[in-house]
Amino acid sequence: MTLDQKRMIVAALSFLFLGSLLVVAWVEGGKERIHPKPRPVVGADSAKCLQCHEQKTPVIAAQWTDSRHAQLGVGCYECHRADEKEPDAFQHEGKWIATIVSPADCGACHQDIAREFQHSHHSQAAQFIGSLDNVLGEVIEGRLAAVNGCWQCHGSTVAFAKEKDGTVRKDKTGKPMLDPTTWPNTGIGRVNLDGSRGACSACHSRHAFSRAMARQPEVCGKCHMGPDHPQIEIYEESKHGIAFRTRLAEMNLSSESWVLGVDYTAAPTCATCHMSATRNQPVTHDVGARISWTLRPVISRKLDEWEKKREAMKDVCANCHAPDFIAAFYTSFDATVEMWNSKFAVPAQSVMDALRARHLLTPTPFDEEIEWSFYRLWHHEGRRARMGVSMQGPDYTQWHGFFEVAERFYFDFLPKAREAGRGDPQVTRALKAVLDSPEHAWLKGMSPEDRARIDAFYRERYGAETVK
Amino acid sequence: MNQDATAPPAGEPVAPHGGRPLPLPKSRAGRWLQRRLPIDLDALRYSSNEPVPNHLKHWWWCLGGTPAMLFAVQAVTGILLSFYYVPDPSQAYESVKRVSTIVPFGWFLRSIHRWSSNLMIAAVILHMMRVFFTGAYRKPRELNWMIGIGLLGATLFFGFTGYSLVYEQLSYWGATVAGNLTEAVPIIGPYLARLLRGGEMVGDNTLTRFFILHIGILPALITALLGAHVLLFRLHGVTEFEFESPKLRGSEEKKTFPFFPDHVMTELIVGIGLAFVLTCLAVIFPVGLAEKANPLQTPPHIKPEWYFFWTFRWLKLTGLTFAVLSIGFFGFLALAWPFVDAAIRRRRPASELSVRLGILAVCALVVLTVWEAFATH
Repeated sequence: MTLDQKRMIVAALSFLFLGSLLVVAWVEGGKERIHPKPRPVVGADSAKCLQCHEQKTPVIAAQWTDSRHAQLGVGCYECHRADEKEPDAFQHEGKWIATIVSPADCGACHQDIAREFQHSHHSQAAQFIGSLDNVLGEVIEGRLAAVNGCWQCHGSTVAFAKEKDGTVRKDKTGKPMLDPTTWPNTGIGRVNLDGSRGACSACHSRHAFSRAMARQPEVCGKCHMGPDHPQIEIYEESKHGIAFRTRLAEMNLSSESWVLGVDYTAAPTCATCHMSATRNQPVTHDVGARISWTLRPVISRKLDEWEKKREAMKDVCANCHAPDFIAAFYTSFDATVEMWNSKFAVPAQSVMDALRARHLLTPTPFDEEIEWSFYRLWHHEGRRARMGVSMQGPDYTQWHGFFEVAERFYFDFLPKAREAGRGDPQVTRALKAVLDSPEHAWLKGMSPEDRARIDAFYRERYGAETVK
Repeated sequence: MNQDATAPPAGEPVAPHGGRPLPLPKSRAGRWLQRRLPIDLDALRYSSNEPVPNHLKHWWWCLGGTPAMLFAVQAVTGILLSFYYVPDPSQAYESVKRVSTIVPFGWFLRSIHRWSSNLMIAAVILHMMRVFFTGAYRKPRELNWMIGIGLLGATLFFGFTGYSLVYEQLSYWGATVAGNLTEAVPIIGPYLARLLRGGEMVGDNTLTRFFILHIGILPALITALLGAHVLLFRLHGVTEFEFESPKLRGSEEKKTFPFFPDHVMTELIVGIGLAFVLTCLAVIFPVGLAEKANPLQTPPHIKPEWYFFWTFRWLKLTGLTFAVLSIGFFGFLALAWPFVDAAIRRRRPASELSVRLGILAVCALVVLTVWEAFATH
């Protein structure tokens, strides 16, 4: 074998060896993506902050250190710095800073997200002030119930604490103090001192600003839960929620790109359907961009441009479901909401309108039992039924939903309406119109044929002895 | 008193052993330096300008200098990293995290350190392949081959101790597996394992011992071996090959070129290229941190660094005792190969067994490494 031939062997084996190292690096690199590694970049100003805050608030410093912001050099000062002219600016260790980092501050880098958010229903969440809910919380239950309850989700209108003479109260360092009823607050529609609306930290909790956390259903569940809008409970009951809980480890929640069908396939979360990217549409921070109905008011209605919004949602569904499946679901969903409207919402509203038109109710909200009954009907039970069907939660649609709607309507609301109407002809006509409609005909009694049909069903399903 | 007529004027530098006066440089500063550093510049020029064979102009004959350059990079970055590293199980991981996250340029230094160690191991393997397949280990250079094998072993151990210092989950459990492997060595294994770990399992003492090995003993050993390696290489001169290719052989009149500055320049260019590659790797693929070591929780898939993948796969294929004994045998065979090869060639002068065995070994190394990379258990 000549030396030149050996040289060729060395070359071939060297390339083989180096090639094998590239393969190993590729395989190992793929694994590393599962565990993103923090590698913070600390600017000079933020390094000074960290020197103290690593000691004083070590958890904040550690959370930031693990964050994506830290990797990109977005530190304490980059977010908290303020212009001297800003109302909440104060001097701290020789720098002008502000405590609250508003969407306007975040929007300095995240322009598109901030713009989308400002157009979203979320950003209007604090505008419920003046609504029935607010009267209930702030007046009837007591102001602090609203401060620590309603406002923590809806958002407060941040204000300064004031001295008796009306000037802004300051602490001994000269820092302006915030009204403790309006801050701390991370409500999604918080009205900030700079006029911007919202709190990015409502979902992207500070100071980790974790993508993964914002994609978790629990983040939404902080507010979207309970008797009046139990979305998190409905989700957990649904197949979507079961799949998520089962395959949480496969959700790739920390991935920078999170495209359904590309970066994860295990299950959908709230974010998947309402916000996150698919192969055909980008991520949006306008959380209503794919919602076609509003299920919140007494009578549900389709939203502006609902067809466009529904197509956007259908595009998400289509990653897992065939077109026939999606179309059949929406047919059933629409029909169920229409049933709520026609069978319970419109009749109950017409009765309440008649009572008010005849001045049989005082102008004061919630001072009469029927007002509580009506409120529970649409605000609690009626929403549960509608939201249950919208997110495929069967128990919330029926037992926690329409069953309780029916009980409330027939055996609480209508009796109270009769009582409040006190024989008034307009109210009586309204009640008669309700009860004469075919949906409520069953209340007048069943025909022998209907009764026989039900008995036959029970006999066949559960045995002859069940029907006496 | 009679003065020696050949003696240089008082204060002028002389060559060692009372030789001829050293020629003085023309510049005043040069003369000042020459008087204080009486080096024979002619002799230096003679030894550094040694003619080297033409094939050294080829890039892949620079692989011997590459590991040395990478070692220097690791020495500098390692000293800087050791300013912050705390070799204590309760603080080791946090101190590495601090270097990677808080210390200015810490992540960069750590990435350069780690990447240069990986590249150094790859370069050593490539260099050895070149030496092996061209038969450059043969008489009279057997000793230098053995020193080279020692350098390979020290480099791998260097990498292993460095990785263990990070105190990640995988590095901790990798060290545990290595301890178990050492224990399986017949007779001395249990003693050796205890010496290495400082106890029955990887713990406080292990980290201190690995730290001392990593920053003291191994650098000193590698420096000494490297010095001996280069010294022998310079004493023997570069192996001369008879290439058929005219490009490598050079013309009849000019079969050689000067080591300095020509070859040194080539090595310098390689060094600059390495610095560029290292910087790119550190910036594009910075070294991260996995989960912190948890001695109470064995990870589902324990894996060493890539350069031990082949041993790990071999271990899984053959069992603990056989793997340890066979790896020891391979190591001994590699060390003694110049003599084994000479014995074979005495009987069959045209034997190319070494080339065939070398191809087999490299292919086995590649297959086992890639297999282990893809393996999930």
